[in-house]
Amino acid sequence: MKFKIKRFNEKNGSYWQTFEVPVRTAMTVLDGLFYIRENLDNSLAFRASCRMGICGSCAVKINGKPRLACETQLSKFKEVKIEPLDNFAVIKDLVTEFEGFFAKHKKVKPYLINPKISYENPVEQIQTPKQLKAYYDFTLCIKCGACYSVCPAGATLESYLGPAALASAYRFNADSRDHGKEERLKIVSQPNGVWRCHSAMECSEVCPKQIEPAKAIQLLRRATLR
Amino acid sequence: MRILGWFKYRSPFGMTFMFQRITGLILLFYLCLHLAYLTSLQEKELYEFFTSITVSKQFFIFDSLLILCGVFHGLNGLRIIIHELGFAHEHRRVVLIITGLLAVVAWLYGSYIMFLAIGD
Amino acid sequence: MIECDIAIVGTGLAGMRAGVEIAEKSRKVSVALISKTYPIRCHSVCAEGGSAAVLREGDSFELHEWDTVKGSDFLADQDVVEFFVRECPKEIIRLENWGCPWSRTADGKIAQRAFGGQSFPRTVFAADRTGFHEVHTLYERLLSYENVEFFNEFFLTNLAIADGRIQGISAIDLKNGDLEFFKAKAVILATGGAGRLYGFTTYSHQVTGDGIAIAYRCGIPLKDMEFMQFHPTGLIPSGILMTEACRGEGGYLRNRLGERFMQKYAPEKMELAPRDVVARAMWKEIIEGRGFESEHGPYIALDLTHLGEEKIEERLPMIREAAIKFAGVDPVEEPIPVKPVQHYTMGGIHTNMFTETPVKGLFAVGECACISIHGANRLGSNSTVECLVFGRVAGERALKFAENAKEPEIPKNFIKEEESRIYDKIGKGDENPHAIKKRLNEVMDTHLWIFRTGEGLKEALREIRELKRRYERVVISDSSRKFNVALLSTLEVGYLLDLAEVVAMGALLRTESRGAHYRLDYPARDDEHWLKHTLAYYTGKEPRFEYLPVTITKWKPVERKY
Ligand SMILES: Cc1cc2nc3c(=O)[nH]c(=O)nc-3n(C[C@H](O)[C@H](O)[C@H](O)COP(=O)(O)OP(=O)(O)OC[C@H]3O[C@@H](n4cnc5c(N)ncnc54)[C@H](O)[C@@H]3O)c2cc1C
Ligand code: SF4
Ligand code: FES
Repeated sequence: MKFKIKRFNEKNGSYWQTFEVPVRTAMTVLDGLFYIRENLDNSLAFRASCRMGICGSCAVKINGKPRLACETQLSKFKEVKIEPLDNFAVIKDLVTEFEGFFAKHKKVKPYLINPKISYENPVEQIQTPKQLKAYYDFTLCIKCGACYSVCPAGATLESYLGPAALASAYRFNADSRDHGKEERLKIVSQPNGVWRCHSAMECSEVCPKQIEPAKAIQLLRRATLR
Repeated sequence: MRILGWFKYRSPFGMTFMFQRITGLILLFYLCLHLAYLTSLQEKELYEFFTSITVSKQFFIFDSLLILCGVFHGLNGLRIIIHELGFAHEHRRVVLIITGLLAVVAWLYGSYIMFLAIGD
Repeated sequence: MIECDIAIVGTGLAGMRAGVEIAEKSRKVSVALISKTYPIRCHSVCAEGGSAAVLREGDSFELHEWDTVKGSDFLADQDVVEFFVRECPKEIIRLENWGCPWSRTADGKIAQRAFGGQSFPRTVFAADRTGFHEVHTLYERLLSYENVEFFNEFFLTNLAIADGRIQGISAIDLKNGDLEFFKAKAVILATGGAGRLYGFTTYSHQVTGDGIAIAYRCGIPLKDMEFMQFHPTGLIPSGILMTEACRGEGGYLRNRLGERFMQKYAPEKMELAPRDVVARAMWKEIIEGRGFESEHGPYIALDLTHLGEEKIEERLPMIREAAIKFAGVDPVEEPIPVKPVQHYTMGGIHTNMFTETPVKGLFAVGECACISIHGANRLGSNSTVECLVFGRVAGERALKFAENAKEPEIPKNFIKEEESRIYDKIGKGDENPHAIKKRLNEVMDTHLWIFRTGEGLKEALREIRELKRRYERVVISDSSRKFNVALLSTLEVGYLLDLAEVVAMGALLRTESRGAHYRLDYPARDDEHWLKHTLAYYTGKEPRFEYLPVTITKWKPVERKY
């Protein structure tokens, strides 16, 4: 199968290169990338670790849509075209700069705020399955960046916190054990926060973990209005 | 030109997002035209010149497209409002399809009325 | 040169837990968290099943101790185990306090389930994404401290040791390709296991034993490296883990004749016998021709169909997703094709029960260390919680050490030598490093697999040494600096080769069968001669071996039956 890959390095700039990869059954796009690195060109840069869709390293644009390379079966396609994610600066080949993305996540205070807990003598808190369910789906974000790469608000405003960070803010605000809701609402209602969202819904569409960040953003908006 | 980020086609939702912007711009343009039209009421010749080109069978296609822009922009706006209130995110595909169907029906009906009006 | 008080290399569960401990105890010391991936991309996110802790009526510390010691085939140090089981519950509750979404019982308490080799269902879990939630909880907690700084995508290359103590480390900054030096009073190694020695493994691609090999080359002994755990149920063909919880929740293993063959091997515990027992039973079924056939080789069926869709969706959602995505099988409808798979590195850097290595100021913790609670066979769900318990201990000890330590000084010649080693010496030949790794994987998958023989091990050693010779002529064809993955994978292969030699030699010398190490030519456990830890020292040529007695307090070795 033909792998058409958009490559980039400092010396040669950006260019397309095509590789021929032999395909076995149950082979993924990531397996194909490894095949290229191991047999055809060992300089091909891409990120990958878990190969089971849980670490979030391997999001790239495959045939126009951002997907996890490790979760995408080759049998779906006749040919694959692979590019780095949009809205992220490219470092080399398919590897993009994620520092800013993680910095935004940090900005929303994505940790449980509860002044009552004790480090030395921790006590179990009660949380019913129903309370757990209220936020659980939003804990599943693997920070792959797919959502940010298709977000039109992120494309036009570099400082926009973005779907993943905002979904994370909502995750903690919806947690029955948390006491930091006010702080977080203040952060997300700034000009680079929830009001920047144009409801294009692309984030929810491409999210490989079906997180529905767009919904989280709207629920946060509702909360800021209270 | 980061604004071009708005006009990249991706999923059906990205497409409606893009069309929402485009139809918005078209409606804005039409609004300007419409204002010019109204201003022209003060001068008879100009008004007649305008009507002679716009109220005609040939121009009907533009009227019809304008209706399409209007109903799409309006109905899609309603769709977005539903989601912005935090509802029906899980059913967004169904909502999109319904919006599309409604838009087509409204467009055809509107065009029909318009067509009859010109036919007179 | 980057200066910090404490450098933690590796941001898996162990490294991050150490970071939290330090930050909680002191807002003054500066902590650098260094890792070759982003923290939440570490291998620990893959852990699925759960973490063991004694929380409820009916269970007791003694039971947890006994299960662990018996599971280890009596090679675990019992004083360490005693300490360990008493700390586990606190760690689980701390994570709960920091936001970990543990699965709950109907009345809102932390839920538990059964795992292999346990006398009480004591595994705490967060659906089947336990490691994922634990990692995210710790990472997020770390974001709340000001004296913690992350250095993401920095690849550890060496330890600077002088005057018998640690002075700092060197690491490649992948984004620009420069070699950076970190000056630190104390260093904690938490770089994870060495699973990618094997081809069919549950490990992430990045688990290449770097930290273990680097410590080894610096003269620190490695303990019990011949003990490699094989998990019974790896998905075919990728090796993705089908968690033990599948059987904990009531799944069956069946051979081609439809029999639940565990009846023959462990009539009491059946599918929930410890991993080494189940893995051997499955391999035996396969060898004796009772496995299913497929284009990816023989396999055994993991049958969950009788659990019903509702239970599978609630308790094992990720397993279902993975089986559908990676093997095209929906476990609600058909059994999952599995076979035993390499899964855990019991051995590692030799430490005492306070995570201290023989080098002052250097600590090792998590899977890269061998503090020896797993002995010859780890019990499922004991290792994530090991990372938490001893991560805390490592943090505490490192902090104490750093607070009283003299200013470190990285020797000038260390800097020069390391730079020339990385940029000038490696990679001037013509051998493809990936081809070497592939061959190494094949050798390990054949000769150092579940059943081992003296002949096979000798053959493996010969092959590994041949590969080491080839490695000296390895080529790095990419000379650019930024994100040079060719350089990276070449270094990783070098580390793997060193470790492979230690594993193979240790296994050849150990003429008995204990836990996960099973010799067909010595099928019995031999407490008289081999109730001792293996220590391997780097010499530049062959590793040198010494042995260390096992600490036995309460539990005298008895026959291990399930
Ligand atoms: C599929 C799977 C499922 C598992 N399920 C369970 C379970 O249910 N219960 C249980 O108790 N245990 C389980 N385990 C075992 C457990 O997950 C691991 O033992 C544990 O997570 C190891 O954590 P760690 O912190 O030691 O290392 P890791 O999480 O492997 O982290 C290593 C860190 O070191 C960094 N690093 C490595 N090399 C370098 C270098 N050269 N330079 C810089 N940084 C480096 C990496 O970037 C990473 O951050 C499972 C293991 C696997 C493979
Ligand atoms: S919300 Fe979804 S798409 Fe965005 S980073 Fe998280 S997992 Fe990826
Ligand atoms: S490699 Fe981890 S998500 Fe794909």
